Amino acid sequence: MSLTDQLLAALSLYGLPLLFGVIAIAAAGVPLPVTLTLVATGSFVELGEMKLWQVILVASAAAIIGDQIGYLIGRWGGHRVADRLRKRKKGAAGIAQAQAFAKRWGGAGIFFSRWLVTPLGPWLNLTSGMTGYSWHRFFMWDVLGETLWVVLYVLLGKIFSGRVQALLDILGNLAWVLIGLIAALILGWWFVRSLQPAATAPNQKSISKTVT
Amino acid sequence: MRHFGWKQWTALAALALVLSITGLFAVRTVRRAIYWRMHRDEVIRPWMSIPYVAHSYRVPPHVLYDSLNLFHPPHDRRPIKEIAKEQNRSVEEVTAILQSAIARERREHPPNGPPAPETSP
Repeated sequence: MSLTDQLLAALSLYGLPLLFGVIAIAAAGVPLPVTLTLVATGSFVELGEMKLWQVILVASAAAIIGDQIGYLIGRWGGHRVADRLRKRKKGAAGIAQAQAFAKRWGGAGIFFSRWLVTPLGPWLNLTSGMTGYSWHRFFMWDVLGETLWVVLYVLLGKIFSGRVQALLDILGNLAWVLIGLIAALILGWWFVRSLQPAATAPNQKSISKTVT
Repeated sequence: MRHFGWKQWTALAALALVLSITGLFAVRTVRRAIYWRMHRDEVIRPWMSIPYVAHSYRVPPHVLYDSLNLFHPPHDRRPIKEIAKEQNRSVEEVTAILQSAIARERREHPPNGPPAPETSP
């Protein structure tokens, strides 16, 4: 029996405590099939084996706690690495850049990595801690993102109850659609930029006009 | 009309390729979502409980319990692998029994026919 089968069998038998453990461990960075677990939980809710509000509360709390563990590991363990890097010239500049990036994009990055690009989640927990991103902000975005993630997948599992594997297949396809759209956006942006070589140099405006 | 260089043409070709592949995946996603919204019948796996299988195949749970000579307990969470172990059977054997019980139930009470009378206590 595969790990997935073992996990879902245990979820069916032990319910909420197992759900809590699996999600917290996965949020801290151990790769486990959590999306599947949440979707299957949605099915069990529809069957009347579990209560919706309990599932949402327990799963969100587990994810948030797991994320804080990742953040703390980054903060305490990462600081040592960062301090060592700071002693070199390039290292200091790199850390300063990462911190600036985290300040500018940190909130959105944390939010979207909770429910949309979930494989990035554990990494962002670590780097948020490492770069000294404000814990209050991290916590706020984390609570919002994780709650949305849990509600989204549990409700999907509830709507598509009794079709857990089919739903995962659909979600897998959807992930490729999202990746394709992001790639298209990047390519499109790159294309538009390559058409405007004169944008940064105002003197060349007249030249580009004659070309068109 | 602007003259494109090789860079622009490459970007346009890549964009067209990415958009068409994305379109294919989008169509497939929507078609499967529509299909599975209407259908169930998920392949029986060892982690599924009897109520889950009954729900997926839209048959009354007691039909499946009867086929395995089991008492129908409320809130039964035992997965099939657990039931197989209790009955000294293989998971495949239990799955086969459930599949034939589902097939028999559907022959006797077609899903689109009149609702079957409730026989469970």
